[in-house]
Amino acid sequence: MEYARMKFYCDEHRCIECDGCSVACAEAHELPVGIARRKVITINEGIPGKEFSTSIACMHCTDAPCEQVCPVDCFYIREDGIVLHDKEKCIGCGYCLYACPFGAPQFPREGIFGAKGAMDKCTMCAGGPLETNSEKERHLYGQNRIAEGKVPVCAAMCSTKALLVGDSESVSAIIRARVSSRAKGASNPLVWDKAYKNQ
Amino acid sequence: MTNSLGDIQKSKAIIIFGANPAVNHPVGFQHFLKAQELNNSKLIVIDPRFTKTAAKADLYAQIRPGTDIPFMYGMLNIIFKNGWEDKEYVDARVFGMDKIREEAAKWTPEVVADVTGVPADTLIQITTLYAKNRPGTLIWAMGLTQHTIGTSNTRMAPILQLALGNMGRAGGGTNILRGHDNVQGATDMGCLADSLPGYYGLAAGSWKYFAKSWGVDYDYLVKQFKDASWMEKNGFSLARWWAGVQNVKSDEKIENAGTPLKALLVFGNGITSVAQQAKIKEGLDNLDMLVLADPFVNEAAILTDKKDNVFILPAATQFETSGLVVATNRSAQWRYKVVEPMYESKPDQEIMFELAKRLGFYDQYTKGMLMQETKDGKLETIPGKTNFTWPEDATNEIARIIKTIGLTGWTAERVKKHTDNWHMFDEVSGAGMGPMKGEFYGLPWPCWTKTHGGSPNLYDTSIPVSEGGMGFRNNFGLEKDGVNLLAEKGSFPKGSKIETGYPEITKENIEKVLGITLSEEEKAACGANWKVDNSGILVQKCMEAGVCPYGNAKARAIVWNFPDHIPMHREPLHSPRTDLVAKYPAYPDKANHFRVMTKYISVQSAQDYAKEFPINMVTGRLVTMNGAGIENRASKYIAALTPEMFCHIHPDLALKHGIKNGTMMWVHSPEGTKIKVKAKYSYSVLPDMVFMPFHFAGYFQGTDRTGNFPAGTKPYASGESVNTVTNYGYDIITQIPETKGGLCRIEKA
Repeated sequence: MEYARMKFYCDEHRCIECDGCSVACAEAHELPVGIARRKVITINEGIPGKEFSTSIACMHCTDAPCEQVCPVDCFYIREDGIVLHDKEKCIGCGYCLYACPFGAPQFPREGIFGAKGAMDKCTMCAGGPLETNSEKERHLYGQNRIAEGKVPVCAAMCSTKALLVGDSESVSAIIRARVSSRAKGASNPLVWDKAYKNQ
Repeated sequence: MTNSLGDIQKSKAIIIFGANPAVNHPVGFQHFLKAQELNNSKLIVIDPRFTKTAAKADLYAQIRPGTDIPFMYGMLNIIFKNGWEDKEYVDARVFGMDKIREEAAKWTPEVVADVTGVPADTLIQITTLYAKNRPGTLIWAMGLTQHTIGTSNTRMAPILQLALGNMGRAGGGTNILRGHDNVQGATDMGCLADSLPGYYGLAAGSWKYFAKSWGVDYDYLVKQFKDASWMEKNGFSLARWWAGVQNVKSDEKIENAGTPLKALLVFGNGITSVAQQAKIKEGLDNLDMLVLADPFVNEAAILTDKKDNVFILPAATQFETSGLVVATNRSAQWRYKVVEPMYESKPDQEIMFELAKRLGFYDQYTKGMLMQETKDGKLETIPGKTNFTWPEDATNEIARIIKTIGLTGWTAERVKKHTDNWHMFDEVSGAGMGPMKGEFYGLPWPCWTKTHGGSPNLYDTSIPVSEGGMGFRNNFGLEKDGVNLLAEKGSFPKGSKIETGYPEITKENIEKVLGITLSEEEKAACGANWKVDNSGILVQKCMEAGVCPYGNAKARAIVWNFPDHIPMHREPLHSPRTDLVAKYPAYPDKANHFRVMTKYISVQSAQDYAKEFPINMVTGRLVTMNGAGIENRASKYIAALTPEMFCHIHPDLALKHGIKNGTMMWVHSPEGTKIKVKAKYSYSVLPDMVFMPFHFAGYFQGTDRTGNFPAGTKPYASGESVNTVTNYGYDIITQIPETKGGLCRIEKA
């Protein structure tokens, strides 16, 4: 039996840097200010033709580098592809941050030496290894919306539906449909008869 | 908004003037993006600033603030020259386009380039793209309205759409984006200084209609005023109420029956985000009493130095009360209460009821909710009804009285049914399915009768009146200077019994216009015209004939009762182009404008502002906040994203003044006021311009006033209000402040 592989994708043609995703995430999981499980990045702001925005969090890699470098093996990958970790095992060494290509791992910074506590990151709203929907799970990892059959809060909040989440097949089908109609219109798609017209 | 957000998906081209929906309407903006994807729609943005919306545009023009009229005349110049206008449409449905054609001839691409700063080839490219992709929709917001010529701007835009035949079409129209939840409803309910609810105006006839509908004597209403003449005059407006307060220093004559303002009652209005902050402070300081009803501490209380008689009433939020709200597309939705009001807070209406009880007019205030119309056009107290049910009875009272915009069908029961069954409506067109077939979601007004399904797009003649069709409104007579003001033969809503233009329907003309005969009982029952006809017979007869009660007329390009009969360019009062001021001067000063003498030419000609204040200043909104920003700045996660007041400035301009990125700078206004803000380098503004958001308060001209917050109520973020330095200037008709075109001087702090 094939399981779904859960993936995020942010459509940079639709993202408008409204920050609905990041604020929804922080509110839902009651994160301390300064912990950004999800953030919105804009490049080339104010430059015509070059400005783009996108929303970034843990991308739940199939071959997650964080998991590979962790010295205490606190990461685990669920059957549906969601990458989670055990905060009670984590020693806050920060190796995962160096390994991650997206800057996803977050560390609370307290005191003048900026001592790192246990790492925190996007759980795709799937909680952690503790008892599902228990108070302790909510306290350490935030809401477990996946267990309740709900969409992760960031994508649910996304105002333009730029941020997509779900089974990778479904996400790529949506993006494929958008890309193939963009600048041509769904009523006028580029299909075989147009591609090879007069040839 | 003539159409709806969903309808934008049907557009082939979208042109946006002075609006930034990607920031101000992020959820609504998905329809713009879908139009690009699904319909290959072209997105064109005209704005002084390269906004988030501009970042998604196919074409963008960086226009000088306050020059939208020249830009649109420039477009018309090209359209007329190439014969791209919809001649048939203009002939049948528009009055006065010839005068527009004459003015447009003067605005060649080269002249437009000089005035607006937009290169001629950009103008030509934009016009060509927009004219060749129809239907096109035109979007605007505060960037068009907040000017001394705001009214002309908002006339110019529909004229462009009329020339292209884009009005009254799916995918077309002028779609003005309302900035806040239920702003459309607030406007419809007459939260204005110049009208009774439903745009009835202030004439004695309107007052008499409302007196009758409310079940009170007209004479009782008259007694509440100094005399009857004051009932029919505009009141003070939100923009300039402070000018009428006792002891406020001003050389501008007040006409308020010889009495200054002594008390101010504010319900949920961020009066700290209105222009002339220093004068607002002076007004607040000199009041005898200030009452602020708001879920958060209204920062007017922080701004004022007044120590006594400042009352902060905790009003409930929208989650703690229920009722009807109106969306930007004129559709209604029922909002259910989520929780009971928390702590000692009370919903707005309860605060008002308590006030009415203590002032002794509670019975008159609430009586309308106990009344109903009888079949013979009379009004009676509903037999046996002594108590009203809030808010259902208030909604039904609105539906019973407001006929001008067709709210007759908006009974509480129907609106709730729509909200409860929203899955039965198409998410793009709003058309109902299954049991809701024949109705549009939220019954967008005009919703003529209790069975009418609402009107999705205004002025659309391609569908019958019974399904939401209509021509233009007949509101200004039958002819002007010998020219017919009614629609020409052949232009009428589909399925109409009358196949030409016709006047609005009155008791006197209905038999002749519709070719019917009313019975004696019907004649006795119906009111003078459809707007004041309690019996509803006139509207009912119109529906049967497929006729729109307000008539079928031409849209006016010429407004002979306005100072400019056709829209004319006039430079902002504080113009960076002193050389253009003589050619395009401001209006003469206007006495008694909403009770205050308001200056135009005398301010504009007083000095060469551009010498000392060479930098354009525009204000606007951030995606993280709305209005005065108090509720947003009280959210720690939002405050973390935008923690302090800032000024977007081009590095070239900043470095000329020695201002480093992230350091403090002063912004000075021609009025002599100043604010201290953090410089934030940005390429979204040109080097002759700065941009600042209007959501901050708590600091005033460099001083921290946040110590005035009652314990525990200080928001996470505070800062200078940009409206301390927005310039003097008010629209000639509406008196909206000119915050989207002004000048400033900057220096390193």
